Amino acid sequence: MSRYLLRQLSLLLVTLWLLTLLAFSLGHWFSGDFITNTSGIFPEDIRFAETAEARAAEAGIVNQYTAYLGHLFRGDWGLSLLDGEPVFEQIALRFGATLEIALIAFVIAIVLGIPLGVLAALYFRKAVDHTILTISLSGYSIPVFWFAQIAILIIAIQWGLVPIAGQINPLYEITPRSGSIILDILLEQPEHMTEALHSAFLHMILPVCILAIMPMMLIIRLMRNSMLDVLSQNYITSGYAKGLSIARVLWNHALPNAMQHVMRQIGALISLLITNTMIIEVIFSWPGLGSWLVRSIYERDYPVIQGGLLVISAVILLITIALNIFHAWRYPQVRKDLYGAN
Amino acid sequence: MINMHGTMTRLPRHLKQAVAVCCFGFALSGCSPSEHPMAQDGLLYCAEGNPESFNPQLVTSGTTLDMTAAQLYDRLIEYDAEAQDFVAGLAHDWHVSDDGLVYQFSLRDDVQFHTTPYFTPNRPLTSEDVLFSFSRWFDREHPYHFVSGRGYPFFTSSGVPSLIESIDAPTSDTLVIRLKQPDSSFLANLASDFAIVLSAEYGEHLLAEGTPELIDQYPVGTGPFKFAGFRKDVYVRYYRNDEYWRSVPLMKQLVFRITQSDHKRMLMLLTGDCDISPYPPARDVDWLKQQAAIDVQQTTSPNTAFWAFNTTREPFDDPLVRQALAHAIDRDSLLRAVYFGHAVRADSILPDSSWAHAPQPDAYTYDPERARRLLAEAGYPNGFSMSIWALPVQRAYNPNARLMAERIQSDLARVGIQAQIVTYEWSTFRRRLAEGEHDSVLIGWSADHADPDNFFRPLLSCAAKESGANRALWCDPMFDELLNAAIRSTNQSVRSHFYRQAQEYLAVEIPLVPIAHSIRFQAVRNDLQGTALSPFGGVQLRGIYRTLPQLPESEESQP
Repeated sequence: MSRYLLRQLSLLLVTLWLLTLLAFSLGHWFSGDFITNTSGIFPEDIRFAETAEARAAEAGIVNQYTAYLGHLFRGDWGLSLLDGEPVFEQIALRFGATLEIALIAFVIAIVLGIPLGVLAALYFRKAVDHTILTISLSGYSIPVFWFAQIAILIIAIQWGLVPIAGQINPLYEITPRSGSIILDILLEQPEHMTEALHSAFLHMILPVCILAIMPMMLIIRLMRNSMLDVLSQNYITSGYAKGLSIARVLWNHALPNAMQHVMRQIGALISLLITNTMIIEVIFSWPGLGSWLVRSIYERDYPVIQGGLLVISAVILLITIALNIFHAWRYPQVRKDLYGAN
Repeated sequence: MINMHGTMTRLPRHLKQAVAVCCFGFALSGCSPSEHPMAQDGLLYCAEGNPESFNPQLVTSGTTLDMTAAQLYDRLIEYDAEAQDFVAGLAHDWHVSDDGLVYQFSLRDDVQFHTTPYFTPNRPLTSEDVLFSFSRWFDREHPYHFVSGRGYPFFTSSGVPSLIESIDAPTSDTLVIRLKQPDSSFLANLASDFAIVLSAEYGEHLLAEGTPELIDQYPVGTGPFKFAGFRKDVYVRYYRNDEYWRSVPLMKQLVFRITQSDHKRMLMLLTGDCDISPYPPARDVDWLKQQAAIDVQQTTSPNTAFWAFNTTREPFDDPLVRQALAHAIDRDSLLRAVYFGHAVRADSILPDSSWAHAPQPDAYTYDPERARRLLAEAGYPNGFSMSIWALPVQRAYNPNARLMAERIQSDLARVGIQAQIVTYEWSTFRRRLAEGEHDSVLIGWSADHADPDNFFRPLLSCAAKESGANRALWCDPMFDELLNAAIRSTNQSVRSHFYRQAQEYLAVEIPLVPIAHSIRFQAVRNDLQGTALSPFGGVQLRGIYRTLPQLPESEESQP
């Protein structure tokens, strides 16, 4: 296990290093001045000379890269070219907002997707199975922005059930601290706490549900297939033959083994989820990383593009590696396979 | 597997129930009506962009004016569009000397500045504050003159600073302004949204702290609302000023939600995410009028959408080329496609409601044949390529500049000119425009006050070119002379004569092509009272209140 851990961690470090190299090179590849592209300070600015010095503008590419790493670790990621806001602070604040809906959507997808997948497998080729499969297939094929538009038109406009923009009714004064609205309300302890939480909850329903749909459909299909595989194994039949209850067979034997295949796919699911989160943020004016990055690309706000790219790729990378490690720790035979392959 | 069938139907019931509880619990808790305890005394205004600053002295953009001028600040005098006269503001009385050179204002003594977490005033408003505020844009020696480094585009381009000889505050409640020459538009300029009053005490406090630039970011004024917070792209928050010298606003809180897309704003109005939405999409105005929960308000605000050419660049420095471009575009079809009939064609830069309006329809008629001839005469028989900058936000004068640019692009293609459409985010767009990076731009102007001068000097004078507000970067001493002659007189028929000449001159020179005078719309939820659009300047939100929800009828009918 430790050998595997070491290998995964070194893979993580090398990839992260390559990412910083890419982000650094972007500063040179973008049109315009390298110092402005990475620091967000225009040549007219009085701080420019000082910044150029700190970022080793004249000192060759290796020194520039070292200086860049130094700034990166100090949390000095430059200023936005558009509004002069420090990129690192903005990322920290907006990342909380993005993480909030992505995580909740992911939990919903798991909590609903796994039972539905199991259900479909148990009713293999029965009406229940067909219904679940049809829904999951259509749910998976409909693009997320289209879902969002339909949901806005029917649920919000026609029925008037939920709001469609932002994290909370802005009449509640909540200071953004973590970016996640629920955490911020709990930290703020406003006068109308319950109502504020209720408002935040209403604002979250549509984006979160729409985000949850696609990963949920995928999980249903993965779970169903993997469950079908497991249920046809001999050890399941022998479990029943021993007189174990169905619940016991499913819970202790079938589910953990079926999960193994699903776990392997979750990494891919997460990157899909993050991409969809960006689209949803733009549609629902959610003040997260996605809407901000999309705008920065429109406006060629280079420091923001660099920072955003670094954070999003690093997050996906970290999750993938963490899942790999978890997978190997939880399922010993995977580990053995890995060593066997070497 | 097969032998399990009997038990299988029994088991998954638990699962089914679990699934059902998950789904329904989530959906049901969302079904309760969205009751906010604060909704009754809070107002949500969906604004179309971020404010560039919280000080209207520094800007000309209507977005910023709407959000700041009438909300945070007050002026000495105001213009009442209905009575067509100036009315008292911070000055309860004013007097102009017979030669038109000395203006004396008497100030109210009961006006308090905002008390905010970042500043507590120790004294009420005095003439010193007015002197401080006016000197900021008038006096280059003033410690705040160069703070924020944006200049004062409205004042510089209307030539007010160079007009003023001196400003004095002889006593704490009188202010005396001496002019170098009579100017018939001076009072109108002081009544505009730009001539607001800042706190001198706050200014000194910030200077002592070494952070003067905060004066424009954390504003202190005397207006009906006080600043409470700004989160870019999300909101601007104000609380009511309980010590306001007029009647205190009924709404405790005023929040501007920043939403660029007009379509999104309309949806948010329908869902109750906003109470007021300016500039609804032109194509949906008629539909919105039919909605029971929405009132659509309108005003024929004096405004003009125009297409300005960068006259410092080739080939636009040649009047023949500009005339050709004016004849190349079909403005009537633009009106139909972009305004859906909510506008009239503009045949002069000055709106048709002004007394000095002198239309020049012949100069701007659609005649592609003539356009081609003029182009050939100017030495471009095969046309050229150019850029059209389309403003990225919706304005009263232009609800969809992008669409207008596309129409113009196809009109131009017919006379052999290739056009590319350029657009940026609003603040970037304005910055690059002021630097003169454009070939031509689709933009416009809404009146700040009723004087016709407001459409000439701030837009087309040489001073306006200096300040960056002259989108045509056009400077013609002869034209400036006509404008100066017009403002030196107070006789309306004399002024009218000069303004007619100025408009005729523009019809020959064509630094810009006027396109439309349009109706400004605002959509409001119908439980709000006291909302009205004023034809001049920014929106006024202090008088708004919400009607109480009606009691359910069942209570009355029960015995």
